[in-house]
Amino acid sequence: MPEVLTMRGVTRDYSVGSGFARKQTLRALRGVDLGVERGKTLGLVGESGCGKSTLAKILLGVEEPTSGEVLVGGKPIQSYDRIERARLIQPVFQDPYSSLNPRMTVEAIIAAPMRVRGEGGRSLQAKVHELAGEVGLPRHLVEAYPSQLSGGQRQRVAIARALIGEPEILICDEPTSALDVSVQSQILNLLHNLKRQLNLTMILISHNLAVVHHLADDVAVMYLGQIVERGPSRDIFEAARHPYSDALLKAVLPPRAGVRLPEMGLEAEFPSPVNPPSGCTFHPRCQKARALCAEQAPCRTDADAEHSYRCHFPNNLKDEECPQV
Amino acid sequence: MSDDTRILSVRGLNVQIPIPGSTLWPVRDVNIDVGRGETVAVVGESGCGKSLTALAIMGLLPRQAKVQSEALRLNAESLAEASPKRWRQLRGDRIAMIFQDPMTALDPCYRIGDQMCEILQQHRKISRSAAMKRSLDLLGKVGIPAPEERLKQYPHQLSGGLRQRVMIAMALLCEPELIIADEPTTALDVTIQAQILRLLRDIQRETNIGLLLITHDLGVVAGMADRIVVMYGGEVVEVGTCDQVLAQPLHPYTEGLVRSIPVPGETEQGEALGYIPGIVPRQVGERTACGFVDRCPYATSACREEPIAMRDAGDGRLMRCILPTDGSARDPDVWILPDETSAQGATNSGSL
Repeated sequence: MPEVLTMRGVTRDYSVGSGFARKQTLRALRGVDLGVERGKTLGLVGESGCGKSTLAKILLGVEEPTSGEVLVGGKPIQSYDRIERARLIQPVFQDPYSSLNPRMTVEAIIAAPMRVRGEGGRSLQAKVHELAGEVGLPRHLVEAYPSQLSGGQRQRVAIARALIGEPEILICDEPTSALDVSVQSQILNLLHNLKRQLNLTMILISHNLAVVHHLADDVAVMYLGQIVERGPSRDIFEAARHPYSDALLKAVLPPRAGVRLPEMGLEAEFPSPVNPPSGCTFHPRCQKARALCAEQAPCRTDADAEHSYRCHFPNNLKDEECPQV
Repeated sequence: MSDDTRILSVRGLNVQIPIPGSTLWPVRDVNIDVGRGETVAVVGESGCGKSLTALAIMGLLPRQAKVQSEALRLNAESLAEASPKRWRQLRGDRIAMIFQDPMTALDPCYRIGDQMCEILQQHRKISRSAAMKRSLDLLGKVGIPAPEERLKQYPHQLSGGLRQRVMIAMALLCEPELIIADEPTTALDVTIQAQILRLLRDIQRETNIGLLLITHDLGVVAGMADRIVVMYGGEVVEVGTCDQVLAQPLHPYTEGLVRSIPVPGETEQGEALGYIPGIVPRQVGERTACGFVDRCPYATSACREEPIAMRDAGDGRLMRCILPTDGSARDPDVWILPDETSAQGATNSGSL
């Protein structure tokens, strides 16, 4: 399968501090390599501050990488102009209460990406109505304003707007976090069906691993601007190698009788990206950390063709197999 | 539960808010008990009245809201007749509250230490240095590293998890009997959430405080609660122990909620998830039917005839539904609906 989307060594720096404060460099992404094949969904998980949203912004072309390259369909993303890029990649944001223009009708909102391209008229109107039906919006709501819609319906409008231009890649940044659970499941069902019917390539950014498990074919775990583990969803959920992936999985609280609160073992706080720890950036919070971890950053190791991780002492290693210091 | 172990007892709590032309009725006839050392979770989606219930118990609703209750008791004291002055004495001392967003609950203009001392000096005859000492102890107790430094810092200098720990420390300052925690971990990362929940639970076990946990997250409930109170449309629709309610939900609303959550390891990838069709209706006027009837896949004509009363479902459980209490009428597949549009069509034609 060809990769629709490839990132090679993508790094993004921000300059923080203003006024009297010393200018500092915040490295939000540090050398991210990532590839997504056509029709696959990549789940991107990690805590706030890990760089998930910066990655999304770079993919959407809102931000440019400081170094490294992003290829869409084999060509650098900068070689597309704004309209072409919008045709290829579309976002669905977290909060449908702020991502829809309150002064536009649902119909106008969904049609907007096509109008930007200079399309209009009857055929566009017919298309809007058809798509509204496909995402499960009742017919009479097409003329309504966002304020008349429930949260779930608004998110459907946002999805329809993203899909109208038939994009290759859909970037969903926490698509269900602002919704109630009973509504969240409807949107998950919808995204799953659309992905199958339209062979969509999707990047799903979420802190909710249950959501990622439900939709993603592959999972990438981010920590402090780096992908620390990447592999097929099944491998990550059943045999995670990186201790951080492990911790995230443990933090999922299933709504089942007799469930205990997990022993997290992540006592230290998430480190500041302005002043990251030495060596493996996860070592201050890692229970398995040894001297080596503070000195040397682990390289990417391939467990197999699809599964890779960055850790000196992955979960499957026995003590005697660990690198000697 | 016997009367002497009960800290909070709420009976027939109603909240009404006048709006132009009519009256909103966001909380109806709510009964809640919290015992010493017990965690009671109030669960429901946005608009179900859970936060207003909490605010009513704290006496924090604005004056326009009309709060009525048959009984609102903290230990033996009736709060319904409490004067504003008495309320101020109780809040922060006997009842403490932990809010969802610690950034808005903490005052950005004051140092952490000053904010903590203020609470103590309001409620206790205590010198400033003794208040600082106690604040320091509590910051250490809630697992804040270098507490001496933190006392001198402002809220914006702390991370979200630390701020929530400060909130918990502040709630504990006067050794309250009841803590009301409204979505205490919703604004936090999952990894921090687990830590904060553990902290809350450990402290509660140690001090035997009653905890009223308001949340929409059934996962949090599963890890924390002894008993669950499920709210829908301003009413309590189901009460039971945590294990009872999660293993065998009785009310269709609870069942729908449990069915709509994907669980890694149980649900397959892409498996159609259940959901509750329709939206939460506005709560206006007297009830004439079951509040959930328009969204309920089991609804019959009997559900529309009159409001449904709470009834005993055995084993100490309560439910506001006329279905059999043994769960025999339940069918897990009713929640797997084709999609919203067709589901709405079905409910519309059903009501004709």
